[in-house]
Amino acid sequence: MKTHPAKKILIAVDESLNSSRAVDYVARILGSYRDVSCELLHVMQEPEEDFFLTREDRDKWFDGQRAKMEGILEESRERLIRAGFAANRVRTRLSVRRCPTVSGCILDETADEGFDALVLGRKGVSAKEEFLFGSVSSGIIRHAKRMAVWVVN
Amino acid sequence: MPITLSKDELLGRINGTCLTPLDQELVVYTDASDFFALDRGNILILGGNGYLIRGNTREGRFGLDDEVKFWVKRATDLATGALKIIKIPFFEKFNAHIAGLTYECYRSPGKESRILQLVAEHPNFMHGISLADDKDNNVRVMEFIHGPSLADYVASLDLDHERYFHEAFAPIFEGYLECVRAIAFLHGHLEKHGDIRRDHVLIDRDTGRYRWIDFDYNYRHRENMFGYDLFGLGNILAYIVGHGDVTVQDVRRDKPALFDTLWGEDLNIIFRNRVMNLAKIFPYIPRSLNEVLRHFSPGANYHYENTSQFLDDLEEAKIDLVGCWT
Repeated sequence: MKTHPAKKILIAVDESLNSSRAVDYVARILGSYRDVSCELLHVMQEPEEDFFLTREDRDKWFDGQRAKMEGILEESRERLIRAGFAANRVRTRLSVRRCPTVSGCILDETADEGFDALVLGRKGVSAKEEFLFGSVSSGIIRHAKRMAVWVVN
Repeated sequence: MPITLSKDELLGRINGTCLTPLDQELVVYTDASDFFALDRGNILILGGNGYLIRGNTREGRFGLDDEVKFWVKRATDLATGALKIIKIPFFEKFNAHIAGLTYECYRSPGKESRILQLVAEHPNFMHGISLADDKDNNVRVMEFIHGPSLADYVASLDLDHERYFHEAFAPIFEGYLECVRAIAFLHGHLEKHGDIRRDHVLIDRDTGRYRWIDFDYNYRHRENMFGYDLFGLGNILAYIVGHGDVTVQDVRRDKPALFDTLWGEDLNIIFRNRVMNLAKIFPYIPRSLNEVLRHFSPGANYHYENTSQFLDDLEEAKIDLVGCWT
């Protein structure tokens, strides 16, 4: 019998509702497949020290944000397991980076790891907002190579 | 840091470096924390040297009255007699609003110090050093650049647009290109300018170089760290190409036939009353340059993601521009 290699899915996670929907989407569509593994990734921007009056303020903010995102990643992982993913096929990764663009960091972080698809939610920013501050999903769509991109609205 | 100069030494230096003697009692500060108190005629001691405060600076834009910047002083360096700009730490954080969007802004002396160090040898930036006062305040002492702002210089050219574009625009565009390369240099070191405006470029009267000033502003970026800086560069480009802002109101008043040809996609994506598709108004603007401008309009297929892309297009546009210049 012909066997297929296991598929690897990357889900880019942030605090947004549509990111949560992206996790639900993967759970619903792929939860029953035994040969799919998932990685939940959050790229946390290294906070600019300039924004805080003191190093202590920065560290406090950073620790709080990190704990919050670790919680979101773990909760997302549990949802995938509840949907049928084997626990050993769902991993989480929180990466702290200084990012010129978040999308670039997500793609750098996962380059050459052989993911078959990258799934993320679209925040739905306006054209003006995208112009001034960018859009992660647009950046991913424009620059992703050698993998499919699923954008969940 | 303790005072290392006696009052007599300070008075000697004041008499040696200033044209007019001090007409008030000598007041010496070694702590700049209360920048409202530090006033004209006072001395601020930094790094063992005295700086005679000459007054506060002001900043004005868009016809508004100049705003006094109490934390930015003009001063005479009592070791050399040179005029300096002294910036005292002023931390502020606020939500800025533009085109219905809100974003977090803040002023960071640390950022400005880092950039001053980074650009110490770069000809297209203001230069200066950071010195700590008695209370370890990060005070920046910067050279005073003599010369007009790019905004004032362009506005001062009393030419109709066609003559401006063919006779005066070439050196302005060259100076602007240097400025964009300078911002690309900053971005290459993962630093933003943070407050790119046409009055934050000074044309150095001594060297003719275009030089960026004021790097202490920062904004909390989202996906793209440099998007807001790029927006500022696009606005300046439109200003220098148009010989001022070209607004729909101007076009309606002065060229009503052309006004009827303007569409929403011809305008600035953020400032909806400014024309970006300037070739519609001034048809001798080469297509390549106009296409660069249109990247800042809603009609663009894509927007610049980084300064390198923008610079590449500007360098290409320059090839076409050379043929326009007399």
